[in-house]
Amino acid sequence: MAYHSPYRAPPHINTPPDQSFLWNIFQRVDKDRSGVISDSELQQALSNGTWTPFNPVTVRSIISMFDRENKAGVNFNEFAGVWKYITDWQNIFRTYDRDNSGFIDKNELKQALTGFGYRLSDQFYGTLIEKFDRQRKGQVAFDDFIQCCIVLQRLTDVFRRYDTDQDGWIQVSYEQYLSMVFNIV
Amino acid sequence: MSYHYGQGYPGARHPAPNAPYSGAGAPYGSAPSTPYGGAAVPPGGYYGPGQGGYGGQPHGAPSRHPPPSGNIPPGVNPEAYQWFQSVDTDHSGFINLKELKQALVNSNWSSFNDETCLMMINMFDKTKSGRMDLFGFSALWDFMQRWRALFQQYDRDRSGSINGTELHQALAQMGYNLSPQFSESLVRRFSVHAARPGMQLDRFIHVCTQLQSMTQVFREKDTTMTGNIRLNYEDFLSGAITRLM
Repeated sequence: MAYHSPYRAPPHINTPPDQSFLWNIFQRVDKDRSGVISDSELQQALSNGTWTPFNPVTVRSIISMFDRENKAGVNFNEFAGVWKYITDWQNIFRTYDRDNSGFIDKNELKQALTGFGYRLSDQFYGTLIEKFDRQRKGQVAFDDFIQCCIVLQRLTDVFRRYDTDQDGWIQVSYEQYLSMVFNIV
Repeated sequence: MSYHYGQGYPGARHPAPNAPYSGAGAPYGSAPSTPYGGAAVPPGGYYGPGQGGYGGQPHGAPSRHPPPSGNIPPGVNPEAYQWFQSVDTDHSGFINLKELKQALVNSNWSSFNDETCLMMINMFDKTKSGRMDLFGFSALWDFMQRWRALFQQYDRDRSGSINGTELHQALAQMGYNLSPQFSESLVRRFSVHAARPGMQLDRFIHVCTQLQSMTQVFREKDTTMTGNIRLNYEDFLSGAITRLM
């Protein structure tokens, strides 16, 4: 479904896939026919293009983003959002993974994130690679790339909320700091 | 809320269970510290496998078998050794994420979540290969025993999960100076089902361990000990990314 997947993306990526196309996929992914796609069902359906299991933490992040009723899964309506989210990331990843290796290196990661508007030091990109490179290749695969971007965005959003004068500096108390990093602000 | 530095940070008075990120910063192989409240719980003691209905019971309940003779490397807990044999289903000599997840359960029989399992592997994986050898696993065993005992101690209503009030009491006893609202928010954030708010053992371990480590980050920045820090965007990101996961 995702990167290098058995499920082909629709030919015109910018037009939303039609309902019957999505329903077909939903039914194949929803193996126990419960009407809800769970973490493990989605994980089995996703490929990161490197023949290793899709990062379960990424799967959890994505499901929780679209699961509006806290039911530990997504129904068909929510799945449409999941599908779009993953195919959008897939397109971005392909742009930067020029040699189709399934991995992007530090420079490519820097280009991608700079493209999103992040301004971060070289040293910090080293930290990111070290932290999100689950396969220990000095590069990040598709699933870990998504996770990296999710975490960065989450932390940036919370930082921005405190950085009211937009100078890139915040002053926070101990409890505020913990609330920020636990994302419970 | 006025903040009194010196009361809020754990570690100053109470040693945390195997405080993975504190002190010398050696998560692996550091001497396990005593659990809060004094007497150390003997591994496999009264909260041991097969008893009490609390989580983390390994499959194959090693306590029911006679201890193996010989060939246990020094420094490895005999019960951890036996448990290792049954958890290492592919007999690779290492425990990976999948094997660990299959071996650990909460009191409601749900398996441990991936984040907590990954965090524990990262803590006890000396080789940085994403899996644990016998020695790392034995250290994890001790770590689990202590957290399980604490969890049971703080689950005062014996519901099998920790609610906001219980978490607040637990954190206060560990030496954290945090508001009741903070604990309530944490429980809400990490409850599996919104309808029944409560933190299972896996999340309790996860949250308490992260709390220790993020407190350490804050403390390093709070050089003037005022309970307030000023930090820039990239420092904020680095602290959270390197120490939270």
